[in-house]
Amino acid sequence: METSPQTAKTVLLRLWEFLCSLKVAIVLASAAALLIMGGSLVMHYNPRIFGGMEQEIMSEWLPGAWSQAPQLVFWVPLSGLCVILFAINTLCCLIDWLGKISTRWRKTGEYLIHTGFILLTIAYLWGNLAGFRSGPHSIFPGTEIKIPHMPEYTLRLESFTPQLNPQGRPLDMVNQVSLRQNGKTVRQAEVRINHPLIHDGLIILPTSFGQALQGFRFHLPEQGMINLAKGSRLTLANGQILRIRQLLPDARRSGRGQVQQVGDRLGNPAMQIVVQKTDNSTWQGWYFLREGLPTELSEAGILLRPIEPIFKTYSLLTINRDPGDKLALVGSLCLSIGVILAFFSFYRKRARGDRPDV
Amino acid sequence: MSKPLLLLLFALYLTATIGYLAHLICRRTLFAKIALGLIFSGVLLQTGLLAQRWWVAGYMPVTNLFATLFFFSWALALIYLYFELRYRIRATGLFVMLLNLVLLGGAVPRDSTISALIPSLDTPLFSLHILFSFTGYAFFAMAFSIGALYLVQTRLQTEMLPDLSTLRRINEEAIFLGFGLFTLCMVAGSLWAHIAWGHWFSWNIKSVWSILVWIFYAGMCHAKFIRRWQGSVYAWLSIVGFGIVLFTYLGIGLLLESNHPLE
Repeated sequence: METSPQTAKTVLLRLWEFLCSLKVAIVLASAAALLIMGGSLVMHYNPRIFGGMEQEIMSEWLPGAWSQAPQLVFWVPLSGLCVILFAINTLCCLIDWLGKISTRWRKTGEYLIHTGFILLTIAYLWGNLAGFRSGPHSIFPGTEIKIPHMPEYTLRLESFTPQLNPQGRPLDMVNQVSLRQNGKTVRQAEVRINHPLIHDGLIILPTSFGQALQGFRFHLPEQGMINLAKGSRLTLANGQILRIRQLLPDARRSGRGQVQQVGDRLGNPAMQIVVQKTDNSTWQGWYFLREGLPTELSEAGILLRPIEPIFKTYSLLTINRDPGDKLALVGSLCLSIGVILAFFSFYRKRARGDRPDV
Repeated sequence: MSKPLLLLLFALYLTATIGYLAHLICRRTLFAKIALGLIFSGVLLQTGLLAQRWWVAGYMPVTNLFATLFFFSWALALIYLYFELRYRIRATGLFVMLLNLVLLGGAVPRDSTISALIPSLDTPLFSLHILFSFTGYAFFAMAFSIGALYLVQTRLQTEMLPDLSTLRRINEEAIFLGFGLFTLCMVAGSLWAHIAWGHWFSWNIKSVWSILVWIFYAGMCHAKFIRRWQGSVYAWLSIVGFGIVLFTYLGIGLLLESNHPLE
């Protein structure tokens, strides 16, 4: 059976009218809203599944969450599909309007809002398919790290200054950073709260800061106060040489007498000390600072008395990439300008005695 | 904030509400005029108190439940004045001011101390986000009141209330303005989230429900084109919409945990 060109045209026209239909828009928006409404409560009461949603982009988070609990997660792709279809419907309306712009230009504000919504949907999809979220990364001043997923980029922390109020509460975290691409500095910036470094879709911002044990201050009768850290070498008055091979902030002895690290926080600190005596013999052993000086050291006259730990401050930086961020910014601008124009045109139409919806 | 001034403000709005009630019962315009004068004085006082708090704090002080209720109440009173002066809706004020009394009544017993600003809130984007958010909410509250009155008027057909056509126009206008302002609130919030947390959309429950509010009112801006939905259905939608707004504003902050806590 042959289809006449007229029939095909009618079918296409009906299909286009369906795609632009306001009722389809309302059905899709309502479906998305109802799914998200229920889903948001499921999300709130299941932090084990949804807790990582903010730490990863959607394309990384969803497969993992789906494999764990598809019955709790199904609403995410389903509502996403509704929003995408809704955005397609909005796009069709926009195209339809553009075809009639000469007679309907007064609706420019409203259709800029439509454009903004479409751009934001695309930007979200783009960012959540091709971007990444990482961190927080702990970085010590003077060191650099590789940017995840972008091996040509490295980030160097030049300096870090936490700003505290008189009560000791953090006010800001001032990071002087350099972003390097293939070894060449492409951006230098001061990164602090609400002032991230934004470059090529990358956004680098401070999350927090911490302190890591760097060493200890000791008192030694012949030498007074000395600082010892991992790798320190000290020549004593009697010619013996003391070296610090390891420093563990929190350690314990296993059943077989081996020393193991328990954690990174200061707990039961231990130093592995090597003493090279004048007769070239060496002693090596662990000094658990809370337990007192090992007998071998006191017999050798090395009366090291721990005074206080020495900490080094590090910064915690979050590094995300959202290739859709510029598109999202354009979408936001469209929304904002659209709202202003729509307000203006609404009151102009009312002043002229028109109903705004006609 | 001075408690006596806060109580004076509450008394002004309460007397205005009683004035509108007297206007409805006695059918005398004088009571409505007195009520309007009281609301005008209340808005002036509330603007002064808000400005004083802003001056003292050094930032827009809308960071806890007292402050948000106070700001919401101010925005609603101001918006009511706008509609009253534009449309002379008079007795409609009874319902709006009752809602305003609930908001202000919720604020009065709370601690009005201005707390130190959390560093991440120290940006003009936060001020814009808050400003647009609560003015948007206030328009939605206005639409809710007008929607409820529309339903009352369909039954009573009284001359004391504006006719159905005017109520419908005001409702549509409130929804449209509220939606526009709430859109600007979402834009400011997204920009702020991007520079503060590194992503412009968050799956936090408050953000998700804000999107729901936006979708709902975007739908309402379109629903007025559907002939069958005009009038009563639209009025009911205004009431449901405000329910979603209240859950987003109070329900999530008080019942659930979010990154927009209410103290």
